[in-house]
Amino acid sequence: MKLLTKKNSILALAISAMSFGSLETQAQDKFFKAVGTPHLPKVETAWNRYHTYEGIVDVMQKIAKAHPDLAKIESIGKSYEGRDIMTLTITDFSTGKDTDKPGMWIDGNIHSNEVQGGEFALYTAWYLTEMQVDTKFIQELLKDKVFYITPTINPDARNDFFLEPNTAHSPRSGMMKLDNDGDGLAAEDEMDDLDGDGHITMMIRKSPTGRFIKNPLDSRRLMPVGADQVGEYEMLGQEGTDLDGDGRVNDDDVGYYDPNRDWGWNWQPDYIQRGALRYPFTLPENRSIMEFVMKHPNIAGAQSYHNNGGMILRGPGAEEDVSTYNREDIRIYDAIAQKGEEMMPGYRYLTVYKDLYSVFGGELDWFYGNRGIFTYSNELMTSYLYFHENGGGRGQDELYKVDQLLTFGDAFVDWHTYDHPQYGEIEIGGFKKTFGRAHPGFLLEQDAHRNASFTIYHAYHTPKLSVLDVKEEDLGGGLKAITATIFNERLMPTHSSQDLKHKIERPDYVTLSGTNVVAGFIVEDEDFKKYTEQIHYPEKMAVSNIPGMESVKVRWIVSGGNNYSITVDSAKGGKANWKK
Amino acid sequence: MKKTLLGCLMAASMGWSSLAFAQSDYPTLSQLNQRLQRIGSNASAELKSLTKTAGGKDIWVLKIGTGNVDEKPAIAVVGGVEGYQVVSVELATKFAERLISDHADALEKTTFYIFPNMSPDAYEQYHAALKYERRGNATSVDHDRDGAPGDNGYTDLNGDGYITMMRVEDPMGEYVASKDDERVMVKADRSKGEAGNYSLYPESKDDDQDGKFAEDLKEGIAFNKSMTYKFPVFEPLAGDIPVSQLESRALLDYLFEQWNIFAFVTFSPANNLSSPLKYSAPNAKKRVVTSILENDQALNSMVSGIYNETISAKPYMQNNQGMDGDFFQWAYFHFGRLSFGTPGYWTPEFKGKSNEEVNYLAWADSLGNTEVFVPWTEVSHPDFPGKKVEVGGIKPFAMSNPSYDKVDKIADEHTDFILKLAAIQPSLEVQNLKIESIGNGLTRISLDLFNNSPLPTHSEMGERSRWLRKVRIDFGASEDRLISGEKIQLIDVIPAFGKESLSWIVKGKGDVTMKAGASHVGFINTTFKL
Repeated sequence: MKLLTKKNSILALAISAMSFGSLETQAQDKFFKAVGTPHLPKVETAWNRYHTYEGIVDVMQKIAKAHPDLAKIESIGKSYEGRDIMTLTITDFSTGKDTDKPGMWIDGNIHSNEVQGGEFALYTAWYLTEMQVDTKFIQELLKDKVFYITPTINPDARNDFFLEPNTAHSPRSGMMKLDNDGDGLAAEDEMDDLDGDGHITMMIRKSPTGRFIKNPLDSRRLMPVGADQVGEYEMLGQEGTDLDGDGRVNDDDVGYYDPNRDWGWNWQPDYIQRGALRYPFTLPENRSIMEFVMKHPNIAGAQSYHNNGGMILRGPGAEEDVSTYNREDIRIYDAIAQKGEEMMPGYRYLTVYKDLYSVFGGELDWFYGNRGIFTYSNELMTSYLYFHENGGGRGQDELYKVDQLLTFGDAFVDWHTYDHPQYGEIEIGGFKKTFGRAHPGFLLEQDAHRNASFTIYHAYHTPKLSVLDVKEEDLGGGLKAITATIFNERLMPTHSSQDLKHKIERPDYVTLSGTNVVAGFIVEDEDFKKYTEQIHYPEKMAVSNIPGMESVKVRWIVSGGNNYSITVDSAKGGKANWKK
Repeated sequence: MKKTLLGCLMAASMGWSSLAFAQSDYPTLSQLNQRLQRIGSNASAELKSLTKTAGGKDIWVLKIGTGNVDEKPAIAVVGGVEGYQVVSVELATKFAERLISDHADALEKTTFYIFPNMSPDAYEQYHAALKYERRGNATSVDHDRDGAPGDNGYTDLNGDGYITMMRVEDPMGEYVASKDDERVMVKADRSKGEAGNYSLYPESKDDDQDGKFAEDLKEGIAFNKSMTYKFPVFEPLAGDIPVSQLESRALLDYLFEQWNIFAFVTFSPANNLSSPLKYSAPNAKKRVVTSILENDQALNSMVSGIYNETISAKPYMQNNQGMDGDFFQWAYFHFGRLSFGTPGYWTPEFKGKSNEEVNYLAWADSLGNTEVFVPWTEVSHPDFPGKKVEVGGIKPFAMSNPSYDKVDKIADEHTDFILKLAAIQPSLEVQNLKIESIGNGLTRISLDLFNNSPLPTHSEMGERSRWLRKVRIDFGASEDRLISGEKIQLIDVIPAFGKESLSWIVKGKGDVTMKAGASHVGFINTTFKL
């Protein structure tokens, strides 16, 4: 019986190998590898469409199954409605534990309507695992680094955005119901999809006192009439009804909180920072991420995808927090982001509080302020991508043109009549929820790739440590001096200046073993013999920081033992070894 | 054999519980739990455990009230905010006991939430073999951020069971013995050219060999240093993020569901009752508000007046009006409720002494209380070879807690104060009701909704908070009968002794109801006869 099973499985293997082989031949007949793109990926998928939560998890599971040595999938917690928050850990597991390598955190979709962060993060996971086989750079990268990729950190409302009626701007929050209008009832006046098409668009009504007409050159567009002219239509606002009888339409929907005002750095309550909840990490999704990051002190870089506008954002979120971002760290932020501007045409490198608006309790400030992690939020999608020119504030005008020339009317719900319970006969129409802020399909893959490339560049510049040079010097009397140079080959230091200021992470340890250590020093100036002694435990020298593209020298006085070795152990910088 | 042992234990525990009535010292946690259970067994009280701390201790809430308890304005009374202030637990608990036994009439209009002990892990230290003033709970925390949690706590160098201070003879030291009382160490006045001759530390060794003493305590996070208002991030006992602990989250999650609380009375070191908080216009006008708002200062001042009339002890050294990350300020600045705080007890001023410790010892001496001070005694200390090290000082708990026999009177006075606060809670009334027929079957109903209270329905801060409900008026006429006026109206605030004028026009016959109020203001239900 046992033998039979084995035979069967061998047979099955043989068959699958054959079929795979024939597929490959077939593919070679029909396709040729495009540069920089996985050829014959083990996980076949498309990057010109959006995924529900289930769709994202499905691709993640396929990646983990197809690449067991490069990807592991886990649930790091539950959402408010009980969905698993799924994270892929991507590294070359044959070269050490993930937690021993500098880490890069990538998430998307904290604002549930800002959907494409999910696809972009997922693309990164797919790209890294599929390219590893024949790309030397990716092989080295996955030996040195680990990526923690969580495509959606707001799975409940991601599904709501796609599967329930919404505008392009809703829901921004999660699915928790709160009393927004202060009447003691929660979410009692939600949006209504009157025409049942899944998109909340606009309502207009014919009126003898209306101030608008339909543009005679383009009937999709309403235009105001002149001051001395009589119009035909009045605007009624967003598609919906007054469900709670208070005379206002759609005035208490789900949400009205902001998951990106729920983080424990410079957190402020709702009356100061609209959208804040009870206290930092009220939301189970954010709490799960916080706990994951706390348990992974190796995370040195982070990206949290939003939409839209084409921005590479860094903190601080609020002017009150300007002093948190030190000059040394801003230098590194600048260097990485300026490269990003080249990699992502149309994207600008900006600072949240001065270029955008004030945010207290935002995610990127927590990652940096509380954990010392170099963090950006990219605001995905910029109208530059449509016609490769800056819109120049034409906004809506441009969208009509895009829908005419590039998406052929698929982005617009044409005006159609509807019998409204409160307004009588009206017309409903307008742009779909998946247009404007979200990429149209034909732009998705390219922009996903450019953003993924930026996060790869960002991850590449987390610290990389090596023991560069070890010198020995005979001091006589059986004593010798050993001087080791520890080099950081990348831009980021092992401790950001914010980290150093608050002692967020433990020091890096440089340990000498296999000999008897009499004294240990940090070398301040080798040429002039300036040393700082570490009196306790000199064999395990505590180095407060190894700056980017710089080195630190450690010196020991030892007696006996010739086969010594040196290890470097840094929380964010990974490990390095040297052996005589 | 086993049976007898069990019998002995039972007898012992029964003996303890019967002694609880004639207690001579602050209760242990199990004695306290028994008292809370006894209160909870009353028909108008509900005892609930919100969570268990990292140390496995219950966080209790007593909800005391009658009738529709969630629709009556409520006062929350909080104790054990600092674990070393054991008197605060007693004051909160005694308030609950007195409320049930002597003041049940107060429940007619007000609901009370009593959180007797927010720091049970730390409270236990009072009864432990080694006694010290503890603030942190039982979690493991790396206070000095060296990678090893809790690796430099206190050491009882002289083996007396108390953690006091240690002084080291040191020509480079900053301290000298006070001229007023040589038992007390004070900083040398360098501005007057005075040299120090002692270094002063908590009683400890340098366990982690970093040159610092008792900087990485074995206790965890302090409840009263880990709230969101001015959270002192990364400081010892505060941790990395605010509201990080089981007990703090459980309390806040519970409070955010109790919409009827209009005021807090917190027994903790912060005091805005002996004298009110000071208004600072620039700090109140900043985006991140750090001053009590102007109108609220007037309320604080009025309530402070009531407090000082009620409490016999004269204020002395009551300078703490809030510390970063504390609970008392959170309740106002981040929860939008009226927040009143007092330690309940302090050392009385004695013979005009300006140093708190000198004053305390002089007062204790006058009472013949010599037990409160551990005389400086030389010990040998491994970290100070060849130096003279002495251990001594005022015993832990002595200054912040009265002897147990004094608590009853303090509790009586504070019970009176809380009941006086309840008596001035916001209170809605209908005044100037007019029901006039305006012809053709139409009736106009007009009235003033009057707040008969020296407190507004919403403090200035409360008006800003999303976590206080607006005053809501539901007019019960069906849509086809309502000619004008709103079916549902929301009002931001009705001032102290202020009114909101309302009117509706209704068609036809048949009674119409009106419900007006908010959970923290109370509701009135009226029927208009048409």
